[in-house]
Amino acid sequence: MNNKENKTIQKRGLGAKASRRLGNTVVYVLLILMTVIWMFPFFGIVLESFRVETTGQVSYMWPKQFGLDNYTRLFKETDFLIWFRNTGIMGVATAVFQTFFILSMSYVLSRLRFKGRKALMNLMLILGMFPGFLTMILIYKVFADLGLTMNMAPVGLIIVYCASSGMGYYVSKGFFDTIPKSLDEAARVDGATRFQVFYKVIMPLSKPIVIYTILMGFMAPWGDFMLASYLIHENSAGMSVAVGMFEWLSKTNVNTHYTMFCAAGVIVAIPVTLVFLMLQKYYVEGVTGGAVKG
Amino acid sequence: MATVKLTNVKKIYGKDTVAVDNFNLDIADKEFIVFVGPSGCGKSTTLRMIAGLEDISGGTVEIDGVVVNDLQPRDRDIAMVFQNYALYPHLTVFENMAFSLRLKKVPQDVVYEKVTAAAEILGITEYLTRKPRALSGGQRQRVAIGRAMVRDSKVFLMDEPLSNLDAKLRNQMRAEIILLRQKIDTTFIYVTHDQTEAMTLGDRIVIMKDGFIQQVGTPTEVFDMPDNLFVAEFIGAPKMNTFKTDLICENGRYYVTPYGAKIEVSGAKAEMLKAKNIGSREIILGVRPEHFVMADKNSNEAIACTIRVNEMMGSELHLHVEEANGDRLIVRIPTITLSDEQRKSLVFGATIYVTFESKVMHFFDPETEKNLLV
Repeated sequence: MNNKENKTIQKRGLGAKASRRLGNTVVYVLLILMTVIWMFPFFGIVLESFRVETTGQVSYMWPKQFGLDNYTRLFKETDFLIWFRNTGIMGVATAVFQTFFILSMSYVLSRLRFKGRKALMNLMLILGMFPGFLTMILIYKVFADLGLTMNMAPVGLIIVYCASSGMGYYVSKGFFDTIPKSLDEAARVDGATRFQVFYKVIMPLSKPIVIYTILMGFMAPWGDFMLASYLIHENSAGMSVAVGMFEWLSKTNVNTHYTMFCAAGVIVAIPVTLVFLMLQKYYVEGVTGGAVKG
Repeated sequence: MATVKLTNVKKIYGKDTVAVDNFNLDIADKEFIVFVGPSGCGKSTTLRMIAGLEDISGGTVEIDGVVVNDLQPRDRDIAMVFQNYALYPHLTVFENMAFSLRLKKVPQDVVYEKVTAAAEILGITEYLTRKPRALSGGQRQRVAIGRAMVRDSKVFLMDEPLSNLDAKLRNQMRAEIILLRQKIDTTFIYVTHDQTEAMTLGDRIVIMKDGFIQQVGTPTEVFDMPDNLFVAEFIGAPKMNTFKTDLICENGRYYVTPYGAKIEVSGAKAEMLKAKNIGSREIILGVRPEHFVMADKNSNEAIACTIRVNEMMGSELHLHVEEANGDRLIVRIPTITLSDEQRKSLVFGATIYVTFESKVMHFFDPETEKNLLV
């Protein structure tokens, strides 16, 4: 190789490096920009919640006076703690039952072969395409007769959140499908029942998807307004945070409750964040490595 | 330790895809049985039916005299080694091997004793605390075998346990399985598509094709007296040369006439032909590559062939030769029997003269492909 060739190659090499660096820079700038845009409302709500000079909406962002007034009002003057407790209970119960339903459903659809399996999967897929609130009137009627509205609404809501949750099998079934079947077979030969295979072999290998399902279940009641407002529909002991707080944004209340609304928003974010942080460490990648010959 | 008996076992997938049919086999206690055959022949399906991982469409499977058709795998007292190891990736090697004992709630000290003893035999003691992903293929397969060993089960099933290993490791593990078998004296059923494994490991070999058993016999039996053309060609490598020719019966003497040569059938084979009352007819003659010998050019027993490929295997030569009609034959010649001059003369295009003795001849019916002497 002569000198000239050598130089061209070096130049090309530098060119590739430089263009890669440029590409990376563009990507990072874009990502940072998106992060700022995405974080902005959160940041705004936190700032609002510490604002002391007014309780309504203002046209500037930075509070003139910082303080915990909104939080003290929240706990002293409102039933927020009860709503929070209600929603928390619903969150935990939904997470437990929904996870159980979804995962067992997915495991069965992934591993067992029975007549009508395909048809069932298709049916659930189609049913899932109809928006849930289509059933709202009927649910209200039935639950009202059963006494599962108003004060008992949280129980009713848990039932609604969990009842059809098995239909959300797609994600976890897809995950289970990637776990080699020979693991099930090995465990069954080793003396495990189907259920033991499920919780001794499949569950430990599916931590990420289990965590995902738990989180989805736990978060559902915090964000659900439409259905909850139907079943609760009056200021009752069964109020959830979403329904309760919505009242503060009405025309008559917004000027006196807006900053408190933001404070409540910050508090609502705490349990969800905590649960996520607690479970996050189980998001381990590549748990199935070494199971079978790749 | 147990006997296994399969009676008219059948497996049908869907409506009419027959995977296994009319499978009858008696496996003695402590016998090492090998199912061998090309892919899709039903050998794995049969093994999985014995394990309980596949439903049995017809017939019965008995283990120790008990019909197990409707028993779950866990109630059959069997151990199984899978082709792809199927180790539990979230458990250490120790826990992988202890898994079945833990399910049975065996006391901790017994678990420890059994697992370490098995690990000792397999030479994987130092890996007991590792996860499967930190092991090589050979080590993983040892763990899989160890997991089956600690069970002390009645029947030990192995589904192509070596086919994921590279050639060298496979030979080594094959020898280890023979040693292992002496240590854990139980009934083995071993599935493979590799005839070498079948020959070296099995007390008896079950050769399968398209869901049917072709022959059951000891390695010597299936090699020396294959029931049909399929078995003859499947067992032995390179495969047996087979060619259509005439069997001639003249004055009570038998001759075969391959490619213009005339070779007398004498000795035991002639006796057997006589005993079966076989007259002159068309046959398929089978001769294994290693059974050819060099012949004198002028002998009327010599077949003239042209060398097309010469594969030097070290201890022997594999000559792919072409006969005047264009038929291809494979001839194996031990290099030690050749002088330097002869070796040099065996090049592309050279003509050689080969023949074979009576005792290595196999006679098949061209229609039924059955061995005429069985």
